[in-house]
Amino acid sequence: MTGASDGQHDLRQREFRRFVGWSACAHLAVLGLAVISPFSGTRIDPSQVIAVDLVSLPASALAPSQAPAPPAPKKAAPPPEEKVVPAQPEPPKPKEIVLPKNPEREPSKPKPKPKEATPKPQPEKDLEDLLADMRKEAGETEPAPTQAPAEQATAAAPSGVTGATVAVSPEVLAWIRKAKVHVRGVWVVPPGFRREALETHVTVELDASGAVIGEPEITQRSGNPWYDESVVRGITKASPLPPPPHAGEWDFVFLPNED
Amino acid sequence: MRASHAVLLLVAVLAAARAHAQDRAPVVIEGGKGKSYRIAVQRFADNSTPKSDDRISRFRDALQDALEFSGLFQRIPDGAFLGPLTTDSVDDGAPIACPDWTQIGADALLQGEIARDANGFQVAFRVWDTARCRDLMRRRYSQKATANPEEVARRVADDVVEAFLGVRGVSSTEIAFVSDRTGNKEIYVMEADGSGVRKATANRSINNFPNWSPDGQAIAYTSYRQGNKPLIFLSSRGALRPGRLLATDGRSQYRAVFDPTGERLAVVLSNGGSSEIVSVTTAGKDLRKLTSSSAIEVSPSYSPDGNRIVFVSDRTGAPQLYIMDANGGAAQRLTFNGAYNTNPAWSPDGLWIAYETRVDGQFDIWLIDPEGKVNVPLVTNERSDEAPAWAPNSRHVVFSSTRRGRADLYMIDRDGSNLRRLTGDAGNNTAPSWGPFPR
Repeated sequence: MTGASDGQHDLRQREFRRFVGWSACAHLAVLGLAVISPFSGTRIDPSQVIAVDLVSLPASALAPSQAPAPPAPKKAAPPPEEKVVPAQPEPPKPKEIVLPKNPEREPSKPKPKPKEATPKPQPEKDLEDLLADMRKEAGETEPAPTQAPAEQATAAAPSGVTGATVAVSPEVLAWIRKAKVHVRGVWVVPPGFRREALETHVTVELDASGAVIGEPEITQRSGNPWYDESVVRGITKASPLPPPPHAGEWDFVFLPNED
Repeated sequence: MRASHAVLLLVAVLAAARAHAQDRAPVVIEGGKGKSYRIAVQRFADNSTPKSDDRISRFRDALQDALEFSGLFQRIPDGAFLGPLTTDSVDDGAPIACPDWTQIGADALLQGEIARDANGFQVAFRVWDTARCRDLMRRRYSQKATANPEEVARRVADDVVEAFLGVRGVSSTEIAFVSDRTGNKEIYVMEADGSGVRKATANRSINNFPNWSPDGQAIAYTSYRQGNKPLIFLSSRGALRPGRLLATDGRSQYRAVFDPTGERLAVVLSNGGSSEIVSVTTAGKDLRKLTSSSAIEVSPSYSPDGNRIVFVSDRTGAPQLYIMDANGGAAQRLTFNGAYNTNPAWSPDGLWIAYETRVDGQFDIWLIDPEGKVNVPLVTNERSDEAPAWAPNSRHVVFSSTRRGRADLYMIDRDGSNLRRLTGDAGNNTAPSWGPFPR
């Protein structure tokens, strides 16, 4: 062995290592995107983050262009038709179009919509399909389909980078549906939190029967510790969940809004 | 060889990642169905001398009512209890059988004991999160011996709200308002839930715009009780001297609001054509002009840090909201929507300004943030919704509405939910001011 050949060998080895290194990095990056991206990029704009964290908004704040009145339950007051004393007998006003007179100010980038603050672990259409299925399940007692349609059985792939999608088995998908319905049914969202842009991630260890083992671990806090508490309380109360495809750790994301 | 290694590596990494992603696809929960916690409230142990079943019962009824008033809790009837109805002890180490409570659907358990004797009214309580079998809050405090059970119960309930929500409940606070139920506009005070209405003035004149001092010991209000001009008066159950605030100088004194320190008030003065905002001490001294335009400038409300004032000015021809330094000076226009915006109220947490906006001759209540970036409706109705005032926890707004014909007071949560009517027995009820937390 000469020094030169050692040098050549080292060089090739270095090249190979570099190649493997870069390859690994590239793949990790791609996979990182594939795996992580559903959870990132939801609160990018710091100014928006501040707005989000500081306020609790009426529903309409979240979609100011439509500006519907907040859904105030009119328990205490009879609906207008029942009013007996027409002190000011004016016809109902078209509220939505009256106030926002200044088009520059009114839709002044108020708040990210809940959708925008929502992680999108699935391509949009799939998420909607999932939700539709969930609603169906919640309404009917029919068991979840054991075989999911092919395009639903994918998740979380940033298509366009490599064109690759990460498969979610129909079994996991079916369980996710059941788990959503179950946890949603027991989780109490305290009044006032429902319209806020809050998002808490927890990892829960489940045994084969679906029972929660130990303390759920908060992996991403919402910024509101009492909301986070409500989440941990909710997932704990949800035990046992529907039996998962396998025992182990499962990730949950809790959003206070339905839509 | 090397290339194939690389391919193998790539395949292996990809496969591992796919398996990982498959395992860890998150379960996204959007909006729990539960809106309130089910709470089991035990009958508190009675360590009084002498004991009183009546006191314990009144205390527990008031406690459960106050918990439900918060909108956060729903009581569990005694008949459903598997665990003990009465608290044994709230001491350290006193065990509870959490399954007894989770089985009946209780999210929370409230235990406690009271002891009343000549020295005072002692209460101790412990709140449990039954799902996690963990106590969230344990407090013990002493009230004066003359405190009634309902008063103490409401304070406990407000603390229990804090254990779950991070802000105190407001069942133990008071609301001042104006009512013409006797034929004259007088100032009244009631509990936040609308109970216990009592008169604060009885001068048979016209009284308006009550405003609580930050310590809850005084109310400033406007009255025609001396002559035919409105003047500012103080009603006090504390250190402040009751009676007229300012010397008369021929000008009308329309309205006064306390600053957050309680040491000064902003007062609206008018000589007819225009009005200005000044500030004075609670003794009516050291008058400082805050505005000096020829416009009408009214309705001041302090930011909670006391550094700024939001007020209404018609300097552009129509009433709009402006914000200025608390010492006066240049003002920034805040509202640009709607031709008539008035009656601003700055929330105690500083995040929002509630105000009235006129729509077809009627008023709706909107919220705007102090930077003017977010402007959203809170209460809209075919009739008028007016005079918003914030609860001290910034989670509720009380306002006056003519939606049933006569004006009544309603409260609504900041997120537009949970509308409740607070008055309705008699007269028109207007101009609410929500008092501070009791001290």
